[in-house]
Amino acid sequence: MTRPPPPAKGAPMQHALPRLAKDGPEHRAIEAGEIDAIVDHASSNVILLPAARRARELAGLAAGATPASEASVANQLLAALPHAEYQQLHRGLERVTLKSRAVLHEPGAPILEVYFPIDCVVCLMASVETGQVLEVGLVGHEGMVGISLVLGVEISSVRALVQAGGAAMRMKAARFQKALSCCLPLQRALYRYAYAKLALARQSAACSRFHALEARLARCLLMTGERVPSEEFFLTQAFLADMLGVRRATVNQAATALQQRHLIGYRRGHVRILDRAGLEAAACRCYTRIEGAQVAA
Amino acid sequence: MSRHARKPKPRRARTTLVLLRLYIVAGAPNSVQAIANLDAICQEHLKGAYKLEVVDILEHPQRALDEGVLVTPSLAKLSPRPAANVVGNLSDKSKVMLALGLGDKVQ
Repeated sequence: MTRPPPPAKGAPMQHALPRLAKDGPEHRAIEAGEIDAIVDHASSNVILLPAARRARELAGLAAGATPASEASVANQLLAALPHAEYQQLHRGLERVTLKSRAVLHEPGAPILEVYFPIDCVVCLMASVETGQVLEVGLVGHEGMVGISLVLGVEISSVRALVQAGGAAMRMKAARFQKALSCCLPLQRALYRYAYAKLALARQSAACSRFHALEARLARCLLMTGERVPSEEFFLTQAFLADMLGVRRATVNQAATALQQRHLIGYRRGHVRILDRAGLEAAACRCYTRIEGAQVAA
Repeated sequence: MSRHARKPKPRRARTTLVLLRLYIVAGAPNSVQAIANLDAICQEHLKGAYKLEVVDILEHPQRALDEGVLVTPSLAKLSPRPAANVVGNLSDKSKVMLALGLGDKVQ
């Protein structure tokens, strides 16, 4: 008995395809371009489709070398783009790891690069002449840093400071503007996002003036928690004081109060949300308004 | 019948936890899209009453083989029964909703 010849090198996909039922959902999804890989049970192999292989190579990911946690979150603005537009944009994107406290944009300085966070959180801060600062926006996997470019302004009005380090997709400003001019779905998504950021800044202004610090701290922790992959993250009191525009000692008092109510665990900058529902109840209603504006946009 | 018939105790509303498993390839465009699409649907309709495990099949190829995965992205609803599967980037919301047992909420 003669054994069948081994599959030709470089064409494993053609050999795996006939093993899938022709009218099955898998076949239809492959034809619609919605599949990244085929699991060939006969040869115990995972076959990456060309588009997936190219995307991984561009993102600097070798086959089989990515921790699953890296794939568990994605930037929502990019992920919501139609397939063809995403592919077009993807060529200009570079995956980077941002360290905590890194400054991405300075007020008054030109925006050279834009960032689409994956699992990092970037805090947008406004300052006054005395050097005091206040958080006016938070960007995580739902958004983009450098949104003023979308509105045609190439100078940053805020300081973009990495609050929680992690991965992001980076793109040169010039390339981004070029991509934006010819990608209608991206334009629509970013205009809506710009609106959400505006709503957030307005609500933050009112919140800072009228709400108690404990409620504002709860909101701040919830918003950070929404943007990081786990319920635990690192936020020093000094950073929180800058975000909330108060003294460090005052932050300590508010954090202790939340801790005594068993809503959070806080030790040496490590924050853990213990009771999300309780923390939401303790936060001012600006939390639901801000996150609601984000969802509505 | 006794005069002191016991009143039925008010039952606490119990939410059924939906167990989901999504097989993906990290960094591949359809997988990235599938995660975001699923995340949006779960947040809107399951509101925390779900548990999602994301399995990167390049990291765990044996699991893909053992668990009968044919292509990625591929979503498996494990519980409550009936089990269901959806393949592709999950951009067809009504198909995902039906698989999750949320067919009555499809607009």
